[in-house]
Amino acid sequence: MALLRGKESYLLLVTTLMLTIIGIIFVYSAGTYWSAVHYSGKMPFYMKQSLYFAVAIVVFLITTRLTILKEQSFWKMAYIFSLVLLVLVLIPGIGLVRNGSQSWIGVGPLTIQPAELTKITVIVYMSHILAQHKTGTSIINWRHGLILILPVVLIMLQPDFGSVFILVVSVFLLFFVAGYPLKLYAIFLIAGVAGLVGLIVTAPYRLKRIEAFIDPWVDPLGSGFQAVQSLMAIGPAGIFGHGFGQSRQKFLYLPEPQNDFIYAIILEEVGLLGGLVILALFVLVIYAGYKFAVRAKTRTSYYAIIGLVTMLTVQAFLNIAVVIGLVPVTGVTLPFISYGGTSLVTMWLIIGIIYQLAK
Amino acid sequence: MKWISIHSKKRLRILYVLFMFVAVAIVIRLFFLQVLDQKELTQKAEENWDREIPFANERGHITDRKGKNIVTNKLAPTLYFMPSQSKDIEGAAAKIAKVLGVDEQKLLEKMKKKEYLVKLAPEGKNIPYEKAVELQGMQIEGLYSGVDYSRDYPYGTLLSRFLGFTGYDAQGLAGIEYEYDKLLQANSSAIRIFTDAKGNNLPNVKSAWKAGEDGATVELTIDVDVQQVVERELSQAMERYDADQAMAIAMNPNNGEILALASYPTFNPAEYQTVEPAIYNRNLPVWMTYEPGSTFKIITLSAALEENVVDLEKDTFYDPGYSMVAGARLRCWKREGHGSETFLEVVENSCNPGFIELGQRIGNEKLLQYVKDFGFGKKTGSNIAGEASGILFSKDAFGPVEQATTSFGQGVAVTPIQQVQAVAAAVNGGKLYTPYVVKQIINPNTGEVIEETKPEVKKQVIREETSAKVRGALESVVAKGSGRQAYRDGLRIGGKTGTAQKVENGRYKDGEYIVSFIGFAPADNPQVVVYVAVDNPKKATQFGGVVAAPIVGQIIEDIAPFVGIEKSKEQLEKDYRWGDPITVKVPNFIGQTKDDIAKQQYPFRIEWHGEGTKIGNQLPEVDSVIKQDGTIHLYLEN
Repeated sequence: MALLRGKESYLLLVTTLMLTIIGIIFVYSAGTYWSAVHYSGKMPFYMKQSLYFAVAIVVFLITTRLTILKEQSFWKMAYIFSLVLLVLVLIPGIGLVRNGSQSWIGVGPLTIQPAELTKITVIVYMSHILAQHKTGTSIINWRHGLILILPVVLIMLQPDFGSVFILVVSVFLLFFVAGYPLKLYAIFLIAGVAGLVGLIVTAPYRLKRIEAFIDPWVDPLGSGFQAVQSLMAIGPAGIFGHGFGQSRQKFLYLPEPQNDFIYAIILEEVGLLGGLVILALFVLVIYAGYKFAVRAKTRTSYYAIIGLVTMLTVQAFLNIAVVIGLVPVTGVTLPFISYGGTSLVTMWLIIGIIYQLAK
Repeated sequence: MKWISIHSKKRLRILYVLFMFVAVAIVIRLFFLQVLDQKELTQKAEENWDREIPFANERGHITDRKGKNIVTNKLAPTLYFMPSQSKDIEGAAAKIAKVLGVDEQKLLEKMKKKEYLVKLAPEGKNIPYEKAVELQGMQIEGLYSGVDYSRDYPYGTLLSRFLGFTGYDAQGLAGIEYEYDKLLQANSSAIRIFTDAKGNNLPNVKSAWKAGEDGATVELTIDVDVQQVVERELSQAMERYDADQAMAIAMNPNNGEILALASYPTFNPAEYQTVEPAIYNRNLPVWMTYEPGSTFKIITLSAALEENVVDLEKDTFYDPGYSMVAGARLRCWKREGHGSETFLEVVENSCNPGFIELGQRIGNEKLLQYVKDFGFGKKTGSNIAGEASGILFSKDAFGPVEQATTSFGQGVAVTPIQQVQAVAAAVNGGKLYTPYVVKQIINPNTGEVIEETKPEVKKQVIREETSAKVRGALESVVAKGSGRQAYRDGLRIGGKTGTAQKVENGRYKDGEYIVSFIGFAPADNPQVVVYVAVDNPKKATQFGGVVAAPIVGQIIEDIAPFVGIEKSKEQLEKDYRWGDPITVKVPNFIGQTKDDIAKQQYPFRIEWHGEGTKIGNQLPEVDSVIKQDGTIHLYLEN
């Protein structure tokens, strides 16, 4: 099969498959009580997640066969399509509001998050533009900024700070690899801090989250609730954990344990060692992904694979950092593992694109 | 590949290393959380999961030596509320507030707390059992009543200043309750409910019973029967003499067991907040430190006999009414002196110059050593909360004058329990026992003895023969001397009176005395030592012989059956040496001050008339003969 060539192509597939299967197992453990209480009579989460997995594999296999994904024109259209969706999601009646953010569009029984797709289209389209750069000229180009800023502003309007963070950081890191001068990053840093302050001023709930982050125990039943509950899952577990299925915090103490905070439940049940296994798998994904990128045949593919792997990594580390209380609660899922169709299918779409581009 | 610049590859490597740093940071953080902070976080998590309805166990009982309960507990439930289980918190609060008669708003505030289990305290803490039953009957959702207890005192105020009391959370705050708090404390049981965060019971997990433990029973050496007699006598004395305070100790001299320990005024431990801290914090017989007065002469007597420096029957002494020591004139209480007397009469008469002579015969260093050997100057080791150690002269400051005053009980400060400890040794054959109040500590469920106090001999202070002589001399003090008001037919009581001027801020207080008597019985084989002191009696002459001796006599008579004293026939006959057995000659009071009179131990009542510093007139006149407990009227003038 042309799909699998070289060690890293096997490694990437094996690690992502393992992460997904571990995900289903822990969605089963973490989410069963929650789904029984909140969605009684409906299909349990792990069953749904298994179905999503099937869909994700189909999406993956189709993606690896779509040669059109190599075309810049396709990605230009996809980029514009993403922007349209981002506009649509803001229109009341079309966009659905969940947890205070208008981030979902419902199509029949399906709901999708335009921001998830946008992250992919921005990175791949950006890679095409970056690849056009001619050696000897300055890499800095106003189009790069524009491609990034348009969706960022739209996502901010939902608002979905987590996605913005992942997108901006991933693209900046991609710029870094593409050869953007370092002094520019100092300017970005200043701009970033200014932007953060701006965000907090416009939406006071973010300040509360940051306060809760600095000392979640001040208000353990209010703004610090999730952070505190997460730490109370992780801490007592120790090196070996309480054993699979033995989580205490999943009994409604930690809200939606199958979702953003699933890593806390994993740490609770299989301890520090289990947590390290997950972390190691992600590190292998980065390693295999970047090796893959270096092997790519075009510069566009090189950039795009790096961009996608970086994005995936930033999201994973951001999620873990939130769970272990290193950064404020942002509401991003753990790639491959967290429960959710959009999340899982998007991840396998990304892997599919990587394999397609690597061919 | 040539289209990838070396530069870009280098940057990719940097990016990879950057991610590795993040991964390492995550590992370090996990190590902190799951290894270093594990204990702390576990504790917090357990509080978070805690769905225990406490089910209090009983705090340990305090009993007397025969097992009679002095302090027990009564059922007083405490209310708990699970907000998440109630659909109508306002309604519940209104109902509960009505039954308990408490502020509804304050209660509602507590019940609306975002907690899983709220203790409704103080409103619903230790409520009467009937109210708990009433609330139970109303079936209020989310309301639980947990078994809880409060202290109960079947004997009311009895022993209160010794027992102490417990605070809001049943913690011992004073006395035995404080001293033995760790052992008395119960370890609460609980019904442990396994629920999810909303308080719903978890499927397939049964509620568990977490077994606690009752507190240990503290069995005192106190005999409630003896204690009741002692307290009755003290309370009567308080009233009769309008005294400031009164205290008493009864001890078994043959092992150091304290049979009664009383302080007046007293209080009800259940309402300790209504009295001054000075009352509930001071257990007088161990706390109060003052000049003992003549009771201390027993120590001088014992030392002199042990050192063989006197033959009580044969040696004689001439008392001119004073004694010159290092240029200081130390007076006898009897102004005109006792004249020529044997040393037995010196003891009977409590003659100060006679005791100064004994002190000098013993010698400076030896006298101080005996005082220390008899246990003065340091705590007795009774393990009673708040015990003081008293004050002695230091070796350097112990000059001839100090030696002389110490011989008759002035210039030193001691506690009642030290006196009892010392006198017990003087009369029991010379063994200095450590006084103790706790006989044993028992596990109430198994009956197993956790701790037991054994009698402890600290020192053989004097020989058995010496002790026998001391007993004889002290029996004759009661039969023939200043302690005769303690005399009881057939009981062979021995003892010694004491009167000491109170000291405030280092100076003697005008006209205020602590009068005392220390007695024991029977004289041939003492079974009990009883000490009584009355602080500032006002309605009578302030002498130990008049105020305290009859109390001790009465106490010993009434407790005799409880401590195993049988009436004896070999008793010394009651006898008065000063002429008529029931009458005395009236001495000359004219020209003396009120304090002069007070320092001396006249065997009659004195009534004061008029105002002034000196006595101008007296009735009856000098040398007229009156009954031994008759009244003399003294008229003051300036």
